[in-house]
Amino acid sequence: MIFLIDYDRTKGEIVTLRRFDESSKHEAADVRLELELSLHRQGIDREVVLLEAENEQAIRKTHRRYFENLEELAKTEL
Amino acid sequence: MTKSQIDRLGERLKEGNLNEENLRLLDEYRRSFSHAYERVINIIRQNLNLEPTGRPTKSTQSIVQKLRRESIRLTQMQDVAGCRITVENVRAQEEAIRELATLFEKVSVSDRRRTPSHGYRAVHVVVRIDDIAVEVQVRTSLQHLWAELSEKLADVSVPEIKYGGGSVLERDYLARFSRVIAEVEIGEPEQDYPTIKRVLSDELRTMISYLSKLGSERKAKQNDLPH
Repeated sequence: MIFLIDYDRTKGEIVTLRRFDESSKHEAADVRLELELSLHRQGIDREVVLLEAENEQAIRKTHRRYFENLEELAKTEL
Repeated sequence: MTKSQIDRLGERLKEGNLNEENLRLLDEYRRSFSHAYERVINIIRQNLNLEPTGRPTKSTQSIVQKLRRESIRLTQMQDVAGCRITVENVRAQEEAIRELATLFEKVSVSDRRRTPSHGYRAVHVVVRIDDIAVEVQVRTSLQHLWAELSEKLADVSVPEIKYGGGSVLERDYLARFSRVIAEVEIGEPEQDYPTIKRVLSDELRTMISYLSKLGSERKAKQNDLPH
């Protein structure tokens, strides 16, 4: 599964999260570019990234920073 | 695109010239990694009992920041495409690295555990397919937690924290946390594990409350500014 994340770094929050299936890789890449260009035209600086994993649970584990705030990360059992 | 065209694009991005044409060219360059990236992901999925999370292309923000931070050309960047594997402990990490080295012909390993990069500890394996680099990050769960905390702090506090900047409190905490993780993973901690856990958790809470206070003060100052 492919995930397109539009992330506001300064707020530390996801603005939008779109999901694509594996067969839509090209579409996901096209949508990523269009989103980046659209934000650029509006003068908005945000991180736009594509991630690929078996499911959403996997990216929530390997890319926690997009999904969790500092307090939530701090609660991790060491 | 030729190598010199790509590097000229890198120079323009580094200078902050992020116009539509350059963004489209960067997208075209990043897409040229897709064949190599797909092969790496598929080989790992088929041969290792691990599930990598792929990042087919590095974000524009991250590419520009890296170009500005390091004196490298765009064609020298080895993590334009990559994936991440997290494993339970150092033993599993070593095993994953060994398996990656046997699965791929051209492999270079950057071990940042003994020589951390501003506290960042992990192993990066760069695989080359048809002369295209794909980076595989292999982290233990503790190394991963440290990296996530550092990234999040960079997002919401000071971006430079990942590279040795930021306030003394944040820097010291991350450095100490990194050292403790190294001691735990190497098996030579100075304190017992429950004590380490308590101390780190207390320090982290102190840092978070400090950052929240700092954030509130900044907002208050902004509100006080004349409109």
